[in-house]
Amino acid sequence: MEGAVEFDLTINGQCAQAHAGMTVVEAAWRNGVPRVRGVGCLEGVCGSCRILLRHDGEVTVALACQTFVQPGMEVVFLPPQSAPRHHYDIDEFEDSWSIQSRFHEIFPEAARCRHCHGCVVSCPKGIKVEEAIMLAATGRFRDAGEMFFECVMCELCDNACPEQIAPAHVGLFCRRITAHFHLRPPNLIHRLEELRQSKQGRGSHD
Amino acid sequence: MTRATQAISLAEARARYQPDAELAPLPAMIDPDTLLAAFHPDHLRGSVVKLVIGANAGDSCQHELADLLQAEAVIDEADLAGTPVTDCDVLVIGGGGAGCAAALAAAERGASVILATKLRLGDSNTVMAEGGIQAAIEPEDSLQRHVQDTLRGGHHAGDPALVAAMVEDGPDVIRWLIRQGMQFEQTAGGNLHTRKAGGLSTARIVHCRDYTGLEMMRVLREAVIQHRAIEVWEQSPAIELLSNERGQKCVGAVLSSLADGRLRIVRTRSVILATGGIGRLHLNGFPTSNHLGATGDGLVLAYRIGAKLRDLDSFQYHPTGLVYPPHLSGKLVTEGVRAAGALLLNADGQRFVDELAPRDVVSAAILREVRAGRGIRSPRLDKERYGVWLDTPRLERAQPGLLERQFPKLLGRTRGAGLDPRVDPLLVHPTLHYQNGGAVIDVDGATTVPGLYAVGEVSGGIHGRNRIMGNALLEIIGFGRRAGVAAISDRDRGPKKVTLEHVNRMRRALTLAGMPMMRKAPQVLPPYAGGVWGR
Ligand SMILES: Cc1cc2nc3c(=O)[nH]c(=O)nc-3n(C[C@H](O)[C@H](O)[C@H](O)COP(=O)(O)OP(=O)(O)OC[C@H]3O[C@@H](n4cnc5c(N)ncnc54)[C@H](O)[C@@H]3O)c2cc1C
Ligand code: SF4
Ligand code: SF4
Repeated sequence: MEGAVEFDLTINGQCAQAHAGMTVVEAAWRNGVPRVRGVGCLEGVCGSCRILLRHDGEVTVALACQTFVQPGMEVVFLPPQSAPRHHYDIDEFEDSWSIQSRFHEIFPEAARCRHCHGCVVSCPKGIKVEEAIMLAATGRFRDAGEMFFECVMCELCDNACPEQIAPAHVGLFCRRITAHFHLRPPNLIHRLEELRQSKQGRGSHD
Repeated sequence: MTRATQAISLAEARARYQPDAELAPLPAMIDPDTLLAAFHPDHLRGSVVKLVIGANAGDSCQHELADLLQAEAVIDEADLAGTPVTDCDVLVIGGGGAGCAAALAAAERGASVILATKLRLGDSNTVMAEGGIQAAIEPEDSLQRHVQDTLRGGHHAGDPALVAAMVEDGPDVIRWLIRQGMQFEQTAGGNLHTRKAGGLSTARIVHCRDYTGLEMMRVLREAVIQHRAIEVWEQSPAIELLSNERGQKCVGAVLSSLADGRLRIVRTRSVILATGGIGRLHLNGFPTSNHLGATGDGLVLAYRIGAKLRDLDSFQYHPTGLVYPPHLSGKLVTEGVRAAGALLLNADGQRFVDELAPRDVVSAAILREVRAGRGIRSPRLDKERYGVWLDTPRLERAQPGLLERQFPKLLGRTRGAGLDPRVDPLLVHPTLHYQNGGAVIDVDGATTVPGLYAVGEVSGGIHGRNRIMGNALLEIIGFGRRAGVAAISDRDRGPKKVTLEHVNRMRRALTLAGMPMMRKAPQVLPPYAGGVWGR
């Protein structure tokens, strides 16, 4: 690292100098690049610092805090994703038998995946998004949700999807439904019951 | 910050390191209080000053924070002319876990809520939490034990009423989170899996592998976005609160925009501050585990409107912040790794502290090793950093597969830099992690200023002078929900007039005290990212 050589790249259209080992965020700060607003956790979990990269004739998307600079790279920070178009209230689900039909009402596009791999190629976490969407569409919510375990909700897959399936939100739906209906841990339930009987707890917050 | 002339280099230490080397027994511990007094950053000479003006005049405070608490506002009355006004029942400032829980609680009860947050919703310290959340649910555990551990861990400086409130919420908080759709690790029998950590008398930490905060945050973020009664304003930092004509009640806030700098006024019955911590103030020159928005804005706003704060001289330095790779400097390796059995070794390859002693003690011990020349020097372009080993390869040998199963985040993060904790020990050093104190609150999260609530890391009193793992995530949800409920029960019809009277009051106090008025606060973003905010 010591004495590393400097090279040029462009960030948001501005020429910037950096050296190997720096991330795109570090380079943007060092060069005072304007309009860099999506930076947050700096460890790849908040999913905010979405960038478009042009390098060696290839165009890709990534998270800036996890991307190391390379000579000649062109970086553009992407604006935040617009608000989701799919709406549901998890408390409105009566019971778990109807989830599959409700799922298709809420996410009608999910059954229309055209297997273009756009989502998979975009995902900075290497999630098999396309496969997971298939599982969700056939009602395998637990398995689908598990595949999204490392999803940081950057919504780059939503950005890429030509069918507007909103894969990131499908993934989260699958995970939430699984916990909401199926996570019933005996040790927790037992303690809640003890507290209810002894009125020690403040009672429920719902 | 730390001097270590004889320290060996990372390359040399790595060459010497062997995961199966014989370890000498742990040397006898010196008295923890002596260790803390000599090495803990809170006790560094010159790091603490007395506040001169405001509700805490005369109290000790870290000097970097004192500079901000005793600073000028960034706006004055002239800036408010023509600023658009929006009315709502409750304004929540801050989109981390505490803010989302508060917004949901208020909205569920029919209130109209605006949630304004500095960065993206969920871009917070919450999303980075790894280890887990405490709740006394195991048969051998009890609420009493949880209370005792918390008070003891906080060196008996915590407020017992607040601690009791947090603890009794515990099991119901977990149930509420599950209901929102949060998953937790289970045992084969379906119980919630619990782990032990430093300062806990029994296993009490439930978790979602080492992604507890991510799982919590993405679920709460989605719940907030989906809720019809909550309007979310992103990239909208609060830069000042608003008070009534006498400057004595909080009746709203002024929000800026990171996109175009334009101001907006929100007028409301109650304001809930949920702005999180101060890591990005880099107290005493330390790196931090915190997200970019952790610049202590909430403390500044609360103090200026007259709220009493507490324990402003007590901060938590987490023992295991990464030193290498450099782009992850200060980033956390969860205590869960030590709880699972990983040891700390100095440059001589020897243990020097009980790894599960309270965090402040472990941090002080690491700083002692480094200062005594038993640290390891990491190459950096800007300045040299030192650390000790967190011996993850030995843990992997003892429990093959454990790191991959339970700590996928750790493995994933270092992978990009070509480091594998299963083979490579990790170079770690204490990192500024948590604000132990904050705004004084009651069991509803109400501050000493009417109309103003504070929840989560911005509040104080629960963790005393040292927080034990897993209580922050519990507190943010429990108190977030308490404040959300309390904020709407205050049924007065809302403000007629919104003013900056409290700003004028503070300015007069600054003048009287002959203090410089050049500095302005809140900071909103750290200076090194200021290229962004500055233009
Ligand atoms: C790396 C890491 C690991 C951790 N691990 C654990 C753990 O395992 N267990 C545990 O219990 N605790 C853990 N903690 C502590 C815990 O995560 C935090 O204390 C807690 O999440 C704080 O929640 P909060 O909602 O109060 O603040 P945050 O989650 O930080 O949210 C604050 C929000 O307010 C916003 N904000 C700030 N200023 C302004 C402003 N002026 N205007 C508008 N919005 C503003 C921020 O952008 C942010 O969105 C960890 C912390 C870190 C950093
Ligand atoms: S699944 Fe989609 S939202 Fe999740 S990390 Fe991958 S690209 Fe981002
Ligand atoms: S981007 Fe959309 S359409 Fe294409 S594979 Fe993914 S989910 Fe299917």
